[in-house]
Amino acid sequence: MSFMQPSPVKYACSCGILNPINMLFFCRHCPKLRCGFCVTHEIESHFCSNCLENIPSTEARHKKNCCANCFDCPCCQHTLSARASTVPVVRKSEEAKEPKDGESKGEATPPVPASSKPSAVPTTKKMYYLSCLSCRWTTRDVGIPDQGVATGTWPDNECLYQARFNALVEYFQAVVLQEKQEKLEFMRRKAPKQHKFPSLTDRTGLTVSLIRRQIGWNDKAPKAKAVIAPAEATAEVEGLPENIFTEPLNLRNVTTITQRHSQPADQPTAVGSLYPQRRSLWIKRSLRCRQCEHNLIKPEYHPTSIKYRIQHFASYHVPEVVMVRCEQTLVAGKSNAILLKLTNPTIYDMTIRLLTASPPEDPQLSTEATRVAKEEPISSSPLLKAVGITLSRQNSTREVKRDVIDVSNAEIVPLESEFVLNQRDDSKEFDEDVQLSTEEPKFIVWRKGNKVLLRLQFTPAEELPGLADVVLGFYMQYTYVNTVNNAQEKREPTTHVLHSRVFITAGATEQKAN
Amino acid sequence: MPIYESVMQEKPPIVLDIGTAYTKLGFAAEAYPRKIMPTEVVMTTTGIRKRLLGYETPEELYDQLVDFLQTIFFKHLLVSPKERKFVLVENVFGPTVLRETLARVLFVHFDVSSVLFVPVHLIALSTLAVPTALVVDVGYSETSVMPVFSGVQIMGAFKDQSYGGSAIHAEIKRQLVESGVKESLLTESVLEDIKVRTCFVTTMERAKARANGGEDQPTPAPDVDYIVSDNDAVIQVPGLLRESAYEIMFEASNERDSLPHLILRSILDCTLDVRRALVESVFLVGGGSMVQGLLARLRQELQHLLTEDPFYAERFHGELQFKFFNAVGKQNFTAWLGGALCGATDLIQTRSLVKETYLKSEHVPDWSNLCDNRPTGS
Repeated sequence: MSFMQPSPVKYACSCGILNPINMLFFCRHCPKLRCGFCVTHEIESHFCSNCLENIPSTEARHKKNCCANCFDCPCCQHTLSARASTVPVVRKSEEAKEPKDGESKGEATPPVPASSKPSAVPTTKKMYYLSCLSCRWTTRDVGIPDQGVATGTWPDNECLYQARFNALVEYFQAVVLQEKQEKLEFMRRKAPKQHKFPSLTDRTGLTVSLIRRQIGWNDKAPKAKAVIAPAEATAEVEGLPENIFTEPLNLRNVTTITQRHSQPADQPTAVGSLYPQRRSLWIKRSLRCRQCEHNLIKPEYHPTSIKYRIQHFASYHVPEVVMVRCEQTLVAGKSNAILLKLTNPTIYDMTIRLLTASPPEDPQLSTEATRVAKEEPISSSPLLKAVGITLSRQNSTREVKRDVIDVSNAEIVPLESEFVLNQRDDSKEFDEDVQLSTEEPKFIVWRKGNKVLLRLQFTPAEELPGLADVVLGFYMQYTYVNTVNNAQEKREPTTHVLHSRVFITAGATEQKAN
Repeated sequence: MPIYESVMQEKPPIVLDIGTAYTKLGFAAEAYPRKIMPTEVVMTTTGIRKRLLGYETPEELYDQLVDFLQTIFFKHLLVSPKERKFVLVENVFGPTVLRETLARVLFVHFDVSSVLFVPVHLIALSTLAVPTALVVDVGYSETSVMPVFSGVQIMGAFKDQSYGGSAIHAEIKRQLVESGVKESLLTESVLEDIKVRTCFVTTMERAKARANGGEDQPTPAPDVDYIVSDNDAVIQVPGLLRESAYEIMFEASNERDSLPHLILRSILDCTLDVRRALVESVFLVGGGSMVQGLLARLRQELQHLLTEDPFYAERFHGELQFKFFNAVGKQNFTAWLGGALCGATDLIQTRSLVKETYLKSEHVPDWSNLCDNRPTGS
């Protein structure tokens, strides 16, 4: 099995989706398997993938999630790199001063040419332009002048209709606000306050106008009506250019749809209007269990680090099942055996049992979990704790659970007894001798350290057609020692009996010879 | 407006316009979308790109939507959807299952705080600040016509036909295959690229001459050699194809369902008093309307039908001249822009469907559903 190929062994996540073990997480507080689908994703930090600069979230929002220094090629979406070129600059002020044998000379000009030949000194200056190393596009192609500083000073192309858009926003905000006030006014008149002595004038708004008049104000509050010049329709529409029927079309000058969409504001049709695009930021994600709101994955803050602060991958907690081989070729209806290698990744011994029917849920676990959930949904920030409790609780109970789609099509002979999978011990890896334990169950083929090779008998279903995948499905029950304590008072690790559903694609059946 | 500013500063609402071909996404009160991306999901198991709206079961749609929105939030918008407000631009006659599933994904899976559904035609019109127009949406899967008068959609006069971007692609493909181009070269993206970069809508005189046949055919526009970079192949795009790809929108047939007919029939379905106003304010939106020459041709055809066609001549009276609006920004995100305007106002607070309401009944109110739309109120 190449590791790039999809794994034949799939675990059913607690939400019901099948995944290989390397795609799964394990929440130690629940304790259950979780996958990318059933956890909440959160944004940990923003960074630029090109210059690896960490950008605070407020700044990122302000900059529209774009890096201030890095640009993408508008032509091929590759990253642009700044190129320096030296440009001779003739200082006019010095030329003018030249007959007086300039005293101010030597401040900015390089000393060597100045001393040798004082007249019309060509000083050089570094100018920068952006160039794409992939498609050879440069900012000079589209006539953007070179810049004196390598980063930061590149002008943004502005949105042409920004002023009109701002006017529209203001207009609609005013209209909506006005409507709201009118509605409030209407409601006030419709349902007058219950006074002891009912007054008819309140209902008509007469009192208000009376008071206003007494003070000397206008009868009515001047209402600033929102105004905007509406767009005007025109009968003059832009026709086709005359030369379109005669001039040959040069496709090199017409942008592709991807190029247009990468510049959504103006979407240029001519290559000459392409403009370097600011590179959009990337994020680091942290994952959180939906039920108990504990972090499953929390990356280190710094963009250059690929490590995690919290990492609860399932392969650190759940015994890993690897399919080794089938003993015979797969034929529908013919009994067969499969060799499976199980590995214990934890530092505690595990007792494992393979079952064909769902074992009962650990009663202690379910009650404990709910109790803890009621006690304290631990959240990272106190703010979340203050606001989010009711909402998150409500949400977690509403979590959609789908049934595991049972795809197995083979009959499994369950193992007659349970067996122990030894703890992981890195020092034992180097032991040469294979320890022979005396009372091994019959199905265990081989055992070394925390690994066990076992033989599982099964029969593919009778009615399977040729070249159909045979899928074995079973429940793997294992003991898991939990070192985190849900309850505060007891400190010793607790042992849970957990189970997960495993599906193995054993391979295709033999084509029937007929 | 201090109220809005304080609201906006916290978390600007996310505005989404999920179209059949392209999705426009961004934040409210911004003048253009952050990104226009294909409405496609990449299947994790097989790595095949698949259209989001090509689903078989609602469950499949749910999973695809989760994947798709996840990419939007964490790859493009870079914000957490939790506790956010949303503006969704939707088709008035879109499938209920899509709407319901979208709401379920947003409220249940992403835990958003409120969703405001806005109808595409009406909201596209809001970018003009005019209350009355005949809005024509040329999309990917269909072209639809919706008259709006004084800010009210005239539902009875809604018309749609299946010629949109996909029909044009099919037409280009048919013509190219006929001229001997290998079909395997003509992928959807190549067809789209040919359409966008080479094709245009020709003038009425030339189209008429073509349709009538005869000796003196106009010389077609020059041919173009299109290079398919993936396969090192060159497709010769005939000038005739460049001119005639869009003719399916104007095809004269006994059905009388070409785009000009559609517009005229839609106007005729409205009451007498609003017809003149509609004739004088036609507004084309949608990515398909960005093609060169479409407006000019449409105007020519409409005026021609108005005077020459006996059916319309006896129903329209007086001196009528079709007038068109120019869109603010580009037409392919006009509806999104309307959503962004809407999200910037207080409507997002008052008109949205909030999470608590949704979770009570798990149902999105719909104009076509009698449960939500009884005169007494439910």
